[in-house]
Amino acid sequence: MTRAILAMDVGIIGRHSFRGGAHPPQKKDLTRDSEIQAGPAVKEVAVMLSQHIGAACRPLVRKGNMAQAGQKIGDSDAYVSAPVHSPITGQVKEIGLRSHAVLGRSTAIIIEAYPHDATRRSYSELKEQIDESKYSAEQICEAVRQAGIVGMGGAGFPTRVKIEPSPQTPKEILIINGCECEPYITCDYRLMLERTNLIIAGAKLAGRASGCSRVFIAIEDNKPAAIEAMVAALQGQSGGPQAPWGGGIELAVVKTKYPQGGERQLINAVLKKQVPTGGIPPMIGVLVVNVATAAAIAEAVLFDRPLTHRVVTVSGEAIAKPGNYYVAVGTSVSDLIDFCGGVTQKSAKVVLGGPMMGIALADLDTPITKTSGAVTVLTKEQIGGAKFARRQTPCIHCGRCLEVCPENLNPTKIAHAVKYNLLDAAEKEYFINACSECGCCSYVCPANIEVTGYIKTGKIFLARQKKKMPQ
Amino acid sequence: MLSDLRISCSPHISGRLSTRSVMIDVIIGLIPAMAAAGYYFRVHALILISTCVIACVGTEWLCNLIRRKPNSLDDFSAVVTGIILALSLPPKLPIWTAVIGGVFAIGIGKMVFGGLGSNIFNPAMVGRTFLSVSFGMLMTSWTAPATLDAKMSKIAPENAADTRTQATPLAWSKMAIKNKLGAGTYNEHNFAGTITGEVGGCLGETSVIALAIGGIYLLIRRTIRFHIPLAVLLCAFVSAGIAYLSDSYAYMQPFYHLTSGGLLLCALFIATDPVTAPLTRRGMWIFGAGVGGLTMLIRIVGAYPEGVMFSVLLMNAVTPLIDRWCKRIPAGGKPSVT
Repeated sequence: MTRAILAMDVGIIGRHSFRGGAHPPQKKDLTRDSEIQAGPAVKEVAVMLSQHIGAACRPLVRKGNMAQAGQKIGDSDAYVSAPVHSPITGQVKEIGLRSHAVLGRSTAIIIEAYPHDATRRSYSELKEQIDESKYSAEQICEAVRQAGIVGMGGAGFPTRVKIEPSPQTPKEILIINGCECEPYITCDYRLMLERTNLIIAGAKLAGRASGCSRVFIAIEDNKPAAIEAMVAALQGQSGGPQAPWGGGIELAVVKTKYPQGGERQLINAVLKKQVPTGGIPPMIGVLVVNVATAAAIAEAVLFDRPLTHRVVTVSGEAIAKPGNYYVAVGTSVSDLIDFCGGVTQKSAKVVLGGPMMGIALADLDTPITKTSGAVTVLTKEQIGGAKFARRQTPCIHCGRCLEVCPENLNPTKIAHAVKYNLLDAAEKEYFINACSECGCCSYVCPANIEVTGYIKTGKIFLARQKKKMPQ
Repeated sequence: MLSDLRISCSPHISGRLSTRSVMIDVIIGLIPAMAAAGYYFRVHALILISTCVIACVGTEWLCNLIRRKPNSLDDFSAVVTGIILALSLPPKLPIWTAVIGGVFAIGIGKMVFGGLGSNIFNPAMVGRTFLSVSFGMLMTSWTAPATLDAKMSKIAPENAADTRTQATPLAWSKMAIKNKLGAGTYNEHNFAGTITGEVGGCLGETSVIALAIGGIYLLIRRTIRFHIPLAVLLCAFVSAGIAYLSDSYAYMQPFYHLTSGGLLLCALFIATDPVTAPLTRRGMWIFGAGVGGLTMLIRIVGAYPEGVMFSVLLMNAVTPLIDRWCKRIPAGGKPSVT
């Protein structure tokens, strides 16, 4: 089936885009054809108590306790929070500090696997279509909450909070985000190929829970196989009289461009609507859920399985065996790299996430969290070509960062305002807080200026300043 | 190996562009104009270009040495300044004058402000202005292209001791405004001359074809955007058109204005200098319109036959104001005050 025929047959919405954006090399062919394989059978996991936005969990176990695979080991009473579960059966070795990619040192529950622990979880499969009307919205929300599901695309916002209907901001449209615009990463792509039904089930359940009347699945047009798989699966779904195919789910093919998978950009591309600056999608009645999150919702509701494992793409030019692995949350990055045959001589930088927005790790014992979709090992040449060998020159005001900025900001002006400590100007005149830190400006900058770095720094300084100031 | 992990802020990869590659692009874009200059004005043109480039590069090197700054020659911006300065000089300018121009352009036009990226005014235009104010006579004696037929009319034979001089199209225009001759005398033959470049004028500004080829290259490479050139040409055309419609005996046809003088060189290579032009699109339109309008004002009303140089400098001066005025609004609208 060619894409053109597909579009005619089933009325695919698209192919849309947003203004701005960059085209970094995709590099997805390194892992695109590697099936999701079981990850390392780890001896020890470190489950972070804060893997999401919101309140950190309290540990529910003590040192020396036994933890069953799937047992809840941390929870919080706060509304915006999500519990954590043990991915393996073993003994709690300690509750101590581990490196967290974003938060720095933070508390984790370290569980040592029993020597003969054979509980190696595999991803659930779903053969038949589901009838989501069997589940009530409350039931779905509660299952999602209990399973500790958070946004797996990277932000880690507790999914229950997101999908729960709210009278102030009624949600109408749900977009399942299968864009995966970051270079190298293919975990969502493989999931769309191998767990298509699970994602569709998750989409239906999320739609039912949130009360959304329209559900889109958005995929970038560089993934024709995923689009085909999705169309084939959707055509098998029964639909009501209003929805002749796909059970009311529409497919939106969007243009391949970075950061197409960004929530605000995706909404703009699919619906031609703009989320207000500083606002969130529900303010315009939209909900965006990552495909991996959708699959996790289906696993939680249909199979009652908590979120303890996720697919992680281990890729990059400097890794021996790149691939997509089903990894226990809490596995350390070094264990994962060893499992993939280690790194080659050329390796220079290990990035948790993709190369555009990922975080360079200083400590390889950093555990995988629910939000880490990839480990990318970059070579010296790559980062050398990027940031070390080439001399940084002064800004020549070429305006390329303005052109690529998906939020229509003036990155160079913000960066210079931060550089010269004019935080007030950065905030009030150049709207620093509207920046989504996608990294396009640094990527295209011919002068090699760390524009995104300046902006991130400025945001942190501003937040500190506001904390100090009495309201 | 994994013992020396590099840490940096994301993104961890970056595009292939560098300041040097941008500058080299501009140099490539200027090659047709340089070739045309070499063809029409022969060896002296090439000597002038290389003199200016050497003077500019040398001055930048010296300034870095004095300021104890790291060497910045490898970004090639001094080369670009040198070429543009040379292309805006009269063909038979003495070498020593060109050296002074180059030194002034880089030394005063760029390095005193802090080097690349910090200068307010276009360095090449600063250098040229200095020369035309200091050596007015030398800067306004135009030689005819070497390819031109000897039987062509000479407007200023008294200037010509051993070289043939020829009035530039804009000098014709000025004469016409003073009603010494009608603008119509500037006939179709001369118009064709401005297209190919077979006409009196500065080194690089005469050949419309060569400039257009270079400009299209830069546009395709996205080294420059179309906003400024289009705004300059449109505004110049409209202003010249108004003048022409008001008195077609005294004023040249607007098309002649576009093709003659330094307007095209300015629109494509000088006004588009990113350092001294506004950042936002709206700002670019205003900037370009200002350059085009001021040029025509000087050409038509002012005392000089050519106004590109001063209009670029004037608009450079207001660039920070334009940037301050034309701010970008975030895609999601201005954030509501919380």
